[in-house]
Amino acid sequence: MKAIWENIFRKGPADDPILHAIHQVPIFEHLNGKELNEIARLTHERNYKLGEPIFKKMAPGEGMYVIIQGSVTIKDPETDMVFAQLSSGDFFGELALLDEEPRSASAEALEPSKLIGFFRTDLLTLMHRSPELGNKILINLSRVLGERLRQTNKALAEQSS
Amino acid sequence: MNDSSLKIYRLLLLVLIGGIAWTVLPFFASVLVMLIFSFLFTTIFLPSVDSLERKIHSRSFSVIVIIGGTIVGFIWFLGSFATNIGAQIKQFSTKIQQDDFALSLEGLSNKAQTILPDFLTNLIPESDEIIEKSQESLSGLFQNMLSFLSATGSLVFIAVMTLIFTIILLVEYYDFKRTLVCFIPNKYLEVGLRLIYNIEQQISKYLRGQIMAAGSVALLSIIGLFILNQFGANMTLIVFIGIIAGFANLIPMVGPFVGMVPAILVALMNNLGSDIALAHQLFGVIPSPFYILDIIFMFIVVQQIDNNLITPILVGESVGLHPMIVMIVLLIGGTLMGPLGMLFAVPAAGVIKVILHEIQFISKNSHLL
Repeated sequence: MKAIWENIFRKGPADDPILHAIHQVPIFEHLNGKELNEIARLTHERNYKLGEPIFKKMAPGEGMYVIIQGSVTIKDPETDMVFAQLSSGDFFGELALLDEEPRSASAEALEPSKLIGFFRTDLLTLMHRSPELGNKILINLSRVLGERLRQTNKALAEQSS
Repeated sequence: MNDSSLKIYRLLLLVLIGGIAWTVLPFFASVLVMLIFSFLFTTIFLPSVDSLERKIHSRSFSVIVIIGGTIVGFIWFLGSFATNIGAQIKQFSTKIQQDDFALSLEGLSNKAQTILPDFLTNLIPESDEIIEKSQESLSGLFQNMLSFLSATGSLVFIAVMTLIFTIILLVEYYDFKRTLVCFIPNKYLEVGLRLIYNIEQQISKYLRGQIMAAGSVALLSIIGLFILNQFGANMTLIVFIGIIAGFANLIPMVGPFVGMVPAILVALMNNLGSDIALAHQLFGVIPSPFYILDIIFMFIVVQQIDNNLITPILVGESVGLHPMIVMIVLLIGGTLMGPLGMLFAVPAAGVIKVILHEIQFISKNSHLL
């Protein structure tokens, strides 16, 4: 009976790689299927070649990226110091959703990678179209940034002791 | 290939593309106009569609409700305007053909000749001449209306196509935008997104501000005409004149004067033959036959309120162009495309400004892209 009445053709997070990737990101936590679909409609799917820069240090930041497939390195191009190596399901650049400050590091594809971008203009559009959903994302974003700040404080405390 | 020859080739390619575009433009001009209008209408209706979609959770239905409501309102306005203006012209044509009207006009002419100095009296036509000319111009008006109706065929086609494009754009707006972004190379993705967003904001702010300012001008004009009526101006079609003045206001600088014309015409139609209206004085000092100066004064006051209070608040610095540049841009728009060009000139200049700003940004930060 369920198969007759339910829309079995609607793609859920498990079927759609974009929805699946968005679903894993803490910024889009606690969102229902409909809300996730709305976010997915605003994101931009991009393919990067091996060694292709995603963004460069000091460039004005416009938004965040989620890795669907492949891997990305976050580094300082001047010192070649690698801050992180991210892979499928990871996200980066979320601070740029809130301010227009220059990027603090460069991001580069370590292999042919598929990423989805969610940008400040998309967030502003979403906040205008669906303020409730926009607020949920902002709260999640604050949580993520708070957690990052806590981790940084912890690392600094460990370093100094 | 070295850098300088590559630059020359690029420049030549650009000139070639520009030349081809300029040659084929006339063939696509009407389609281009339809698309520009559709885009502008989409920008105007997008906030309403978005907010209705939030409430009823169906984008297509929201588009149907908003566009349907607008069409019904527009048809109602046109219908009642045509009925009222028809009745007004009919009434005026009956008035012209009446004998006592001819007599009063003759009296009016004689009176003016006794009041005015000699060199001006020669300029006043005889009453028979006035009636003849009025009848001629009235039949001319009907002929013009007929030729206008025959031209409406192509206008209706353009309007219907624009409507269809607008509906499609409104329903698929965000998907279209995403598709457009797909064509931006990775290197320019973030800059491109910002450019699109800034252009969108520029046009949207300008249009919404202008529409609200036009609405305020319409309301103020209606109030002004109502006040003039209290002093015996005998104005009819007040609401329609106000709405026309509001619409005319969308064309900067020229529009306000266009808005005065129907008001003056109606004042002349209604007051011609009335001694009191002819002898009327503005503030009891300045002669203002048929309340013409009162109407001009009222529209100037409305314009001053609009220019110094309403527009700066509603439109603000949305376009941020120097008044001198606005004037030059209007002249260019008017020369190229007439009133339509004047309507689009300022927002188009605003968009070009945003693009130039981004190009400047890209050339300054090219090493970061």
